[in-house]
Amino acid sequence: MSNSITEIQETKCLFVFGYNAADSHPIVAKHILKAKANGAKVIVCDPRMVETARIADQWLPLKNGSNMALINAFANVLIEEGLYDSEFVALHADHFEEYCETVKKYTPEYVETITGLKAEEIRQAIRTYANASESMILWGMGVTQYGQAVDVVKGLASLAVMTGNFGRRGVGVGPVRGQNNVQGTCDMGMLPNVYPGYQNVDDDEVRAKFEKAWGVPLSPTPGYTLTTLGHRVKDGTCKAYYIFGEDPAQTEADLAHLRKTLRGMELVIVQDIFMTQTAEMADVIFPATSWGEHECVYSSADRGFQRSFQAINPPENVKHDWEIFCLMATAMGYPMSYRNTEEIWDEVRSIAPLFAGATYEKMEGLKTVQWPCPTVDHPGTSFLFEGAKFTTPNGRAQLFASEWRPPLEQPDEEYPLVLSTVREVGHYSCRSMTGNCSALQTLADEPGYVQMHPDDARALGLRDQQLVWVASRRGKVITRAAVNERVNMGVVYMTYQWWIGACNELTIEHLDPISFTPEYKYCAVNIEVIKDQTWAENYVQTEYSALKAKLRKTASATL
Amino acid sequence: MNRFVFADPNQCIGCRTCEVACVLSHQDDNRISAFDPTRFYPRLTLVRNGQVTTPIMCRQCEDAPCAQVCPNNAIYRENGQVHVIQERCIGCKTCAVACPFGAMNVVAYPVERKSTSTLFAMNTIKAQALKCDLCDHRQQGPACVEVCPTNALRIIEPEEMNKLNQQKRQEAAVAALSGVPL
Repeated sequence: MSNSITEIQETKCLFVFGYNAADSHPIVAKHILKAKANGAKVIVCDPRMVETARIADQWLPLKNGSNMALINAFANVLIEEGLYDSEFVALHADHFEEYCETVKKYTPEYVETITGLKAEEIRQAIRTYANASESMILWGMGVTQYGQAVDVVKGLASLAVMTGNFGRRGVGVGPVRGQNNVQGTCDMGMLPNVYPGYQNVDDDEVRAKFEKAWGVPLSPTPGYTLTTLGHRVKDGTCKAYYIFGEDPAQTEADLAHLRKTLRGMELVIVQDIFMTQTAEMADVIFPATSWGEHECVYSSADRGFQRSFQAINPPENVKHDWEIFCLMATAMGYPMSYRNTEEIWDEVRSIAPLFAGATYEKMEGLKTVQWPCPTVDHPGTSFLFEGAKFTTPNGRAQLFASEWRPPLEQPDEEYPLVLSTVREVGHYSCRSMTGNCSALQTLADEPGYVQMHPDDARALGLRDQQLVWVASRRGKVITRAAVNERVNMGVVYMTYQWWIGACNELTIEHLDPISFTPEYKYCAVNIEVIKDQTWAENYVQTEYSALKAKLRKTASATL
Repeated sequence: MNRFVFADPNQCIGCRTCEVACVLSHQDDNRISAFDPTRFYPRLTLVRNGQVTTPIMCRQCEDAPCAQVCPNNAIYRENGQVHVIQERCIGCKTCAVACPFGAMNVVAYPVERKSTSTLFAMNTIKAQALKCDLCDHRQQGPACVEVCPTNALRIIEPEEMNKLNQQKRQEAAVAALSGVPL
């Protein structure tokens, strides 16, 4: 996020795009409510009436997969009505001409059929955004989990550039991350193209620094992304897969394909806290400690480092992640040892200039330090790009617009409904952490739910809470219908954490060409009513018990 | 005047933390490890439909219809709230029918009736009419209010009710003035 989560309360206009804070981040939802109480206008672009839409000043229920068209129309209005900050653009942005050229045809009238919105609604929304003294954009997976994702991210950032909403408090753009500490994994160089602190692996100077610090020669080519592993296995360029803190056999798109990839590996190592379905397929399992059993540094979505401390002792013979990594490195011929996490953190600070001043001492007493924090006497950075100095090579913002591309797999006669994967508040991510909490289990349990509009349910002759089959070209799962007037017609929604009703058996591995994130938000499915509900209920219980027994057996075999 | 817990639907995000906190608060052992999924009877229930998201619970009515209709005198008013004497509840559900908020939940579960002699021990059904009791067993007050992440839930004291009314009268007076032709 360019600005802090706490700055949400200071903005005058909050523009929420494809982001359901109430289900994904209740704490951010609290800040949104405070912003509203402080007088901010709230605009929500989301096909579903999410909680933020319910309290919004304006809700734009756009059609699924029309993001880029809508954003281009916003830009079109900014230019046509002269609502943009011409001084800011002239002083701090490049490519204005090309930008105007691309969005020229995307008039609000032109995108009416694409977005399902009225031209006047689109105008009204962007006027509110442009006219507020401070406007902030928040977005979530409703933007990034499409085949056209990075374009839309750049498009949203361009709206902020066009209106001068960067480099001050209460403005900016907020990609509120999809997982806890996903910011941290990026910060620490878990992306295949960067070292810790966003330093490119193909930059000779950077590489020389890391080679010197670590005393080994390093590869100048970026690594592999998860979603390309299938091909890598097939052509033999990737043979081993070391997975920790992730359950791809639950969370990846098109699970049947993922399982094939896993089986194709010569070696799969899984480091996790519970016996997940990924762990069940592993050759080697390293039991790991949970958040309450170790100390660490987390990065929050707004670049804030926070320390977290050990509350309870892990079971015997379970090592901390960093100890396992040290042992692995040593076993592979690179002796690695640290006395404690602070030593590791100090090494990170010494080679990542962005984090250099974020010492353990400054994080004492549950304090947070936001990067960039280049020196020890630097207080950290609440908002980026002060004085409109951007982190591009020439220091200027790069305006960007792109032609709209519709999602890949459109509904047809055989698969007439669109499936979009979403989150629900009670269970976190792949559920390996929350699935063992009996209270949360009581609120929502297997096989999970498929949310659908009452009219779609009526057409199928389906009652609320009945079990149904949901099928796509890639798979078929059983789940429970949650008939819900907050979702739009023609689209059904499932959460991805269920074992029996695993919606990722259905999703499509259509990737964004830059981020390689799959199009989790759009694929074609059909729904089949199950006449014998007693049979279906029994089937779910039998399958669930069998799966649990299988995982339990694998778990006890590792002891 | 009775106290009651009120939920502001403009603040509720539908997370159901209040439901879980309510159940834990009414367990003999309040720890999460003692949680029994078969006894999940929250005394407030989240309602989520096309218009609104908010938990609904007992309003501690002054002239409580549940108390009026109870055939076994199990429901009475005391200390600014409406109480249910569970020992007296026979599970007839009349209170649930009478409650205009749907806030009364009549549940029944099997219990073992203890006796001095094992000869007379038997399994029987115990009924309970469950509704918000403002966590009067709890020093810190209602558990739901404490856990709500957006402070949507709060206790409304009689004095606050008066203050709110005064404020509304002031606003109504000003509004009336603007409507009067000069």
